[in-house]
Amino acid sequence: MQNDRDGQLKIYQLFSPVLYGICLKYMKNEDDAKDVFQEAFVIVFQKIGQYKFEGSFEGWLKRIFINKLIETLNKKKKESFFLDVFDPDTDFIEEEELDIAPIEQEKLLEYIRDLPDQYRTVFNLYVFEKMKHKDIAELLKISEGTSKSNLNRAKRILQKRILSIKNFKIA
Amino acid sequence: MKKQNIEDIFSSMENFSSVPPPELWANIEEKLDKPKKKKRAILWWAAAACLLLGLSLPSVLNKSNNGIKTINNGSGINNSVVIEEKKNGANDAETISTEKSNTINKSDSIGNSSLTGPKNTFDSAAKNQIKATAVADADSDSKSDINSGSNTKLNSAKRNTNQAVATKTSISKYNSFHSTEKNQFSETEKRNADKVLAGKTFNAGKQNQFNSFSRNQTPNSIFGNQLNSNANNIALGNSNSILNQKQTTGNANQQTVLTGNTKTEKSIAANNNKSNSKFNDVLSKQDSVQLAELQNLEKGITPELKKEKDNDPKTNSKSEKWALEVFAGIANSENYKNDKTLGNVNDSKQSSTYGVKTKYKINKKWAVGSGFKINELGQSVANVSYIKTAGNAFLSTGDYFMKNPSVPQIASNDGYVLVSNTTKNALTSNNVQSGNLDQSLRYVEMPLEVSYAVFSKNKASISLNTGGFVGKLISNNVAIDGNSLGKNINANDFVYGSTLSSTVQYRVYKKTNVFVEPAMNYYINPLNNQSFNQFQWGLNFGLNVSF
Repeated sequence: MQNDRDGQLKIYQLFSPVLYGICLKYMKNEDDAKDVFQEAFVIVFQKIGQYKFEGSFEGWLKRIFINKLIETLNKKKKESFFLDVFDPDTDFIEEEELDIAPIEQEKLLEYIRDLPDQYRTVFNLYVFEKMKHKDIAELLKISEGTSKSNLNRAKRILQKRILSIKNFKIA
Repeated sequence: MKKQNIEDIFSSMENFSSVPPPELWANIEEKLDKPKKKKRAILWWAAAACLLLGLSLPSVLNKSNNGIKTINNGSGINNSVVIEEKKNGANDAETISTEKSNTINKSDSIGNSSLTGPKNTFDSAAKNQIKATAVADADSDSKSDINSGSNTKLNSAKRNTNQAVATKTSISKYNSFHSTEKNQFSETEKRNADKVLAGKTFNAGKQNQFNSFSRNQTPNSIFGNQLNSNANNIALGNSNSILNQKQTTGNANQQTVLTGNTKTEKSIAANNNKSNSKFNDVLSKQDSVQLAELQNLEKGITPELKKEKDNDPKTNSKSEKWALEVFAGIANSENYKNDKTLGNVNDSKQSSTYGVKTKYKINKKWAVGSGFKINELGQSVANVSYIKTAGNAFLSTGDYFMKNPSVPQIASNDGYVLVSNTTKNALTSNNVQSGNLDQSLRYVEMPLEVSYAVFSKNKASISLNTGGFVGKLISNNVAIDGNSLGKNINANDFVYGSTLSSTVQYRVYKKTNVFVEPAMNYYINPLNNQSFNQFQWGLNFGLNVSF
C-alpha cells in the first residue's frame, strides 16, 4: 500500500472529506488546514504499514491527523500555549440552555475557528472526539484543570456569540 | 425550537466533513514522490561538517601557532639562522599539505540531484471517474451532477441528461442548483421561482467549500466494505453523500420553502432569505466586534493565570532515555604550573580529538555517559639544545647520560643528545644546536561522566558534565625540529584523569541534536619521570541522536 498509488487514491477519496473537515475545525484559517491536511496524509501513506488492523481504520487516520494538528498548533505558539490554572470562580459557569433555531454548519464552523487556539483545541477534543479531560491533559501536556478551564471558556465564548445572534434576530 | 446547551448545538459538527480542493491530492502525490533521502542526507552532511570542522581546526590553529613559535625561535641565542630556515621549511611543507587536503575535501562534495517523480494524473483520473459515474447514474438521479460541480466541461456534456432529470423531481432539481456553476442556472431560467431560489442559495453559500458540507458522509460501519470496493463505487458513494449533505445542511432553507411543512420553518426560511446579504454583513461586523471584545476580556483574565508547564512531571516522557553522540574537536594541552623540560618552559600543543559516547538519562535532569575517545596530550618545548651524535665518533648518548645522571633521558633514539640549559653554557662545541622539541602521547580513553541539565527549553538545552577517565597509550612520539627521536621512554601505558565539560545542544530534527562542548581535562600521570603538560582544554562539535 505504501507505494500503491491507486490504493492511496482510494483511501484519499474515501476519507479525505472527513479528515479535511477535522483540519478545518482545528485550524484558524483554511491555508493552515490545507497544509496540515497534506502533511498528515503524507504521514498516513508513509506509516500505513504500521496499521495493525486493531480498531477502526478511520480512528487510526483521525489519530494521526489530530496528532499532526496539535503538533502544528504547538509549533505556532510563542509562549505557554495552554492556560494552566483552573479558577473555580470563573471557570465553573452555569451552562445556560439556549432556546434557538438550528444554526447552519458553516456558521458553527466559523464560531469554532474564531476561538483562540488553545480553547478551540480542547473544545474539539472534548466535544467532537469525546475525549476525557484526563486524556486531553495527557495529550496536550497540560493539567486536567487547564483542560476544564479552556473548555469552559470556549463554551462561554460560543454561548455569548450564539446569544448575540439570537438577540440580533429578535431585535 | 427546543432548549439546547452548547454541546447539543455543536453536535451537528461532530461528523462535519468537507471535500478538499482537488489540487491537494496533487500536492500529496508530489510529496510522496520526493525521496526521503533528502533529510537523511542533511543529517549526514551535518555530521560530516562537524567532523570536518573538528579535524580541520587543529591544523588551522597549529599553523598560526607555528608562526608564533618561529618568531620566538628567531630570537633564540644560538644557531638561530640555520635552525630558523630549517623550521620555516618544515612549516611550509605542513601548510602545503593542509591546503592539499582542503582541496581534496572540496572536490568531494557532490550535489544531490533531485529526483522527480512521475507527474500526477489525479485531475484527469478524477474527472474520468466522475464522468464514468455520471454516465452510469445519469438516468437514475442527479448525483453525478453534484459530484461534477466544479467541472464545467462535464456539466456541459451532461447538460441535456441533467436537465431532463432535473425536471423529474423538485428535490433533484434544487440539488443541481446548489452544486453547479452559473452556466447551469441559465438552463433553468424557465422557472422564475427556481431562479430566485438559486440566487439566494448562492448568496447564502459564499464559500464553495460550504456547498459541499455533509453529515455522516462516511459511516464507520461501511468503511471496510468501501475500502475494498472499486473506484466507481467510491465515487458513487461520495456523490451519494454529497447529495445527502445538500439535502440536510446549509441550504435546508430552500427545502423548507418547497415542502412548507410548518409555519415556523417557513418564517425562519423567510427571515433568512429576506435579509441574507444584509444580515450576513451586519452580523459578521457585529460578531467580529463582539468576538474581539470577548477575546480581550479573556486576555485580561488570562495573563496572571499563565504558568510555565516545564515542571510538570507528566512532560518527563519515558522515551528518549538513550542518546548516542559522535563528536570531534580540538584540544590544547597546557602547562599551568610553569613546568620545565631541560631548563626550558613547557609550551602548549594543539591536537585533534574524536570519539563516540552514549548517554543514559536517569531522570529529567541527570544522565550518565560513557564511550570511547581518541585524544592526544602533547607539549612543545622551544629552544632545546641538542647535539647530533650520528656519525660523531667522540660522543654518544650513553656517554652523556652516564656523565650527567641528573639530566633525564627523554627519547629512545640514540642519534640525538638533548642538552639541558645549565650544561649548554658549559659546552663550547660547534655541534650544539637549538630547536623545538615536540612530544605527543595519543590515547584511547574511556570516560565515565555524570551530566546535569541546567537549562532545557524548546529545542535547546545546556548541561554540565563531570567525571573521570582511563586512557591507554596507543601512540608515543618525540621529535626535534621534525626529526623523530623515537618514543618518550617515560610515558605510562595507562593514564587516569578527570574531566569537566558543558554541553550546549540544539535539536535540529526530530531526535537529532547538534552540540558544542567546551571541556577541561586533567591527566594525573602521563609520564613517570618527567614534567609534562597535564591540563588540557578542548572544544568538541558533535551530533547526538536520542532514542
